[in-house]
Amino acid sequence: MKKILNAPEAYVDEMLSGLIAAHPEYYRLHGESGKVVARATPGKAGKVGIVTGGGSGHLPVFTGYVGTGLLDACAIGDVFASPSAEQMADAIRAADQGAGVLRLYGNYGGDVMNFDMAGDLVEFDDIACTTVLLTDDVASAPPAEAEKRRGVAGMVYAFKIAGAAAEEGRDLDAVTAVAQKAADACRSIGVALSSCTVPQAGKPTFDIADDEIEMGMGIHGEPGVWRGKLRTADQIAGEMIDRLLADMPLGQGDRVSILVNSLGATPPEELYILYNVVKARLEGEGATIVMPLVGRYATSMEMAGVSFTLIKLDDELESLLKAPCDCAFWRVG
Amino acid sequence: MTIDIAALRIGLARVAAAMERDFEELNAADGALGDGDLGVTLTRGMRAIMAQADDLPEDLGRALLACAQAFTKASGSSYGTLMATGLMAIAKELKGETTLDPARIPDLVAKARDQMQARGKADLGGKTVLDSLDAVATATAGKTDASALADAAATAAETVLETFRDKRATVGRARIFGDKSVGMDDPGMLAMARIVRALAARDA
Repeated sequence: MKKILNAPEAYVDEMLSGLIAAHPEYYRLHGESGKVVARATPGKAGKVGIVTGGGSGHLPVFTGYVGTGLLDACAIGDVFASPSAEQMADAIRAADQGAGVLRLYGNYGGDVMNFDMAGDLVEFDDIACTTVLLTDDVASAPPAEAEKRRGVAGMVYAFKIAGAAAEEGRDLDAVTAVAQKAADACRSIGVALSSCTVPQAGKPTFDIADDEIEMGMGIHGEPGVWRGKLRTADQIAGEMIDRLLADMPLGQGDRVSILVNSLGATPPEELYILYNVVKARLEGEGATIVMPLVGRYATSMEMAGVSFTLIKLDDELESLLKAPCDCAFWRVG
Repeated sequence: MTIDIAALRIGLARVAAAMERDFEELNAADGALGDGDLGVTLTRGMRAIMAQADDLPEDLGRALLACAQAFTKASGSSYGTLMATGLMAIAKELKGETTLDPARIPDLVAKARDQMQARGKADLGGKTVLDSLDAVATATAGKTDASALADAAATAAETVLETFRDKRATVGRARIFGDKSVGMDDPGMLAMARIVRALAARDA
């Protein structure tokens, strides 16, 4: 294992402590577990709270998106491991400003179980909770079983849109409805070029040859659609767009945003090389691209690779996407 | 014979000792089909329970609720949460009671199975801990004698492990491994066999 760390078991705690030390104007620890991050300045009374949670190893997801116009609190687990139900309950309590809390997170068995359990725990505190799951990874299940799909970078759009709706003062049902609409409008696919190492495991999560890529691989190394030789940027981008459009066709006049995301090690240079084909293909369908995002928004530590997330917008989603937000990793307006 | 808080403490101590003993074995079984931390999950959870064993209230429901909460604090793993869910299901049934007639155990195991099934969103037959609990609930149903119950439970948990060994995992993380799971014990079922054997005081 070649990683910059002090001790594998201290990886997450030291990462969180450094994150908060660097950005105290945005983040603070909440509760006693040391694994719940909340806004440095809580949202105003009566605002719907939005929480998320999941394993570490994906910065800026999940913790980084705690901020104005985004999330209120986040429970974070060990690398690629779910936080406990207690931590999630703490995050829900931190997010609650008296108007209820939306749990907005990716569809992974452990996280779903623990957030459901956390909901049972906060029932005693009379906090109303709703849930919206991201299921945007088209490679993880066929359209007929879309509800089984994993959640990946689509959550960046969902956090942004739901966060803006909550900041506007909408009630819990309205925030939940628009978060669901955003989640339903997202489709993602990833491609991996190299693996990553979970500190406590000490060895790469999966093996892949130097000249191979895996199309459709999940952000924790879940098996993808095919594995084969490396291809050109245009070929890779073309196939990824094909797969997204096959699942969510676009037509003349559609407005979309696209996230071209590095899984960690892939540099911005290569993302921009991919963007040429992305833009040409989407415009070739007759769509207009609004506010494209290019960069590291959802990662798997040092994994090389990219993911694309396409979101089809209506007027409501577009205005919420463009609304102001502010956290250490992303500012709009 | 009835079960009170003193008997519960003894049972918990036996499970805690069994999990320490089987730590490496459970990690290895889990490592073959998952992330290899099941032994860690269970020893952490049982240590958290034992740390407060002397302070558990006489009310068996409240005592088991405290055990469930200790488990959820100790670990975020799916198995830990399922265990806590099962404990909470039984805790609800026993709220306000300080003694338990063993004849109610089959029904309590079935309640735990049902709640865990709802939380895990999994069907029976998928080669998971749910199949172990189902086998125990079925084998003990109608039995009232404590010794006969213990025998039936320990045997059922062991037999169901063998029955499922050559089946394919269809839910949970082991599902990803498909045919590779054939011939291997499901780690969660293996752990439950050890837990039941320890609770029943039928350790070899």
